[in-house]
Amino acid sequence: MRNRLRDLRTGRGWTQEQLGQALGVSRQAVNALETEKHDPSLDLAYRIAVMFGRPVEDIFDNPHA
Amino acid sequence: MAIFKTMDPAHRRYVIRTNLFLAGYVAVNVAAIFGAFDEIIGESAGVFLGLAVAALIAGQLWATMSLMNESDEFVRALTAKRFIAASGLAMALFSAWGFVESYGNAPHAPGWLIYPLFWGLFGLVSPFLKSSR
Repeated sequence: MRNRLRDLRTGRGWTQEQLGQALGVSRQAVNALETEKHDPSLDLAYRIAVMFGRPVEDIFDNPHA
Repeated sequence: MAIFKTMDPAHRRYVIRTNLFLAGYVAVNVAAIFGAFDEIIGESAGVFLGLAVAALIAGQLWATMSLMNESDEFVRALTAKRFIAASGLAMALFSAWGFVESYGNAPHAPGWLIYPLFWGLFGLVSPFLKSSR
């Protein structure tokens, strides 16, 4: 799923490891999200949205829209 | 050791559990090869030796399931995908060999080979399965 996670993360100067720790997931999971190898669950997508203070749709493109 | 330190807690526990179960598996089989169980091999009591080795294999599979249970959603999905691919391939290959044995007089392959075959295939498919989808 196309997303702006890498831009948002690097914009805050965070490493994948740091973002993973903040979200409670592994660095591999953050990398997989950024490289579109993993579509997040609704729960994880909302956690990411809260972390960056944006709606989910601002971070993840809706593939059905 | 450096790699171990960079692992998340779930993977560290998995490595420790896997090493313990595999060490037991190797120890029992090496002991059997060197004659430690010669008195019971081929006797009824030998069944318990076989079940003891099988229990260690079940323990290793439990360690893998625990890794999936304790990991995040990406690692869980990826491990499940690799596990299913490897077990499917192992079943297909071993079944094929069984039929070749039955119908083509191929040499007999003992059933315990499916376990190392499964993990060999798990290692083989893993570099090709990097997406959770």
